[in-house]
Amino acid sequence: MTERAHSIEISAADCIGCVDCCKGCPTQAIRVRGRLAVVDSELCIDCGACIRNCRYHAVRARTSTPSDLKRFKHSVALPSLTLYAQFGRNVDPGQVLRALARIGFDSTYDISWMCEMLAGATDAYLSECKGPWPKISVTCPAIVRLIQMQYPGMVANLVPIETARELAAKLLRRKLTYELRLKPEEIGIFFITPCSAIVNSIHNPEGLEESYLDGAFGISELYGPLLQAIKAEGPSEDPSAVSGRGLLWARAGGEISGMRNKNTMTVRGVGDVLRVFDRLEAGTFQAVDFIEAYICPDGCVGGQLTVEGRYAAHRNLQEILGRLGDQKGVDEEKVRSLLREHFFDIEEQFTARPIRPLGRDLREAISRKKEAEAILATLPRKDCAACGAPSCATLAGDIVRGRAALQDCVFVKLDELQRNPETVKDRQS
Amino acid sequence: MEEILYSETYQITGNDYERGGEAATQVKMVLKELGIDPAAIRRLSIANFEAEMNVIMYALHGELRLQVLPDVVRVVVEDRGQGIPDIGLAMQEGYSTATPEMRQRGFGAGLGLPNIRKNTDEFEIRSTPGVGTTLRYGVRVAGGEAGGA
Repeated sequence: MTERAHSIEISAADCIGCVDCCKGCPTQAIRVRGRLAVVDSELCIDCGACIRNCRYHAVRARTSTPSDLKRFKHSVALPSLTLYAQFGRNVDPGQVLRALARIGFDSTYDISWMCEMLAGATDAYLSECKGPWPKISVTCPAIVRLIQMQYPGMVANLVPIETARELAAKLLRRKLTYELRLKPEEIGIFFITPCSAIVNSIHNPEGLEESYLDGAFGISELYGPLLQAIKAEGPSEDPSAVSGRGLLWARAGGEISGMRNKNTMTVRGVGDVLRVFDRLEAGTFQAVDFIEAYICPDGCVGGQLTVEGRYAAHRNLQEILGRLGDQKGVDEEKVRSLLREHFFDIEEQFTARPIRPLGRDLREAISRKKEAEAILATLPRKDCAACGAPSCATLAGDIVRGRAALQDCVFVKLDELQRNPETVKDRQS
Repeated sequence: MEEILYSETYQITGNDYERGGEAATQVKMVLKELGIDPAAIRRLSIANFEAEMNVIMYALHGELRLQVLPDVVRVVVEDRGQGIPDIGLAMQEGYSTATPEMRQRGFGAGLGLPNIRKNTDEFEIRSTPGVGTTLRYGVRVAGGEAGGA
């Protein structure tokens, strides 16, 4: 089993030790110790809720730095489709691509075509697949991690087709190696990402031994320079640089909109995802063929590393799509031939990574479970998180695992002091 | 005498569709904490959800009792309600007495009881018409050892 890791970085200088991130974490992966939030890599799925919730900008994603570009003879920017929707309704994808070249990348590569091809590949896979149903999209890496950790029984439901960003990078590296007469490792391909989950999927990939991407820059990190470059660049000459059908993937619902199979669903936002997956694990939705799920509220345009709000980004996309028109850009025969050579397939099976049980064996786990239940009964159930754990139940679990003490609870401590004021004097003297 | 290592009881209220599936979800969370094998949890979750929905659709009130033994996770679902007059018929796939309202909510495909039997290693049903139904089912787990790790 590979080591679990995450892309969340907490700046000790900026973190004040409030409990916003801790309470807002959907997998209870954060504890506050003293004045610093600490992320448990065994529980983190990289959803980025903590980045969104931090009012002090102390939580960031471990993205690449400009010096990473210098390691390569040729650097390429591979933008998330969401980037195209960040600069207002009149800026076309072609302008954004040229602006990326202006701010320091040697070349750029659009992935909307690959997305359009993947819709066809997914249809082909579903028509031959034998179940278990429904199949779940692997586009959102936070969803893949959530399933591996919290719904390990559903790993077999994940679609074994690689993501558009990885496939595009794979194809591009082949192409550039040939065209530029460079070694594959001399080419640096960087994703321009809307979220922290993709950053981690590059460093700790699932379904692949090694990512075809070399790193990622957050959209918000490049936004300022890009905006300036777009202004300097002037209006677009060729609005049709991208696939309209592929571009739809920037928002929730886009993936299924280009598919022939309509027995599909879109689930968005971590709360809804958890509710639907709980049902799914209990056998509901078996009559559905395919579920497209995103941890972010509206899909990738709602990523926590974006600048344009998701509603405005939606509108921008609509305008761009209106100009592009709905034209099929991908040759179906090309997709069929790539399918035959298994180009779209993942390279490694997805593995279940169930979260650690309470004990090493059933008996120890049960005795700790009972102990935790007894502790919980003595806790105030206010879920105030002043102890550093997001809820009284998580504190009880931490106590039986030896990671916290009952006296971490301020109510327990207060109660103790009131009953036994002598201890206060002792400590003060 | 069988050794019950852990037990917990969950209440189910008839006609409470709003909370349908809550007991099954709670059981699932406990079993994950105990490190039960994911495949066993999955099968049991399917059975629990079906059983819970049966209580909600057909009974006044019911109780889901979880019992964890060294080599089996057992569930007993006991309800007070209309009961099942012909168990043989109810165990047939596709047989359903669901009302249009239940079907509208996506239930009542007549797969409930057969689905529970299909997903469990032990299964027993007793019912008295006009009094209620008791279901006992279980999924075997590796002897004394937790799955997961």
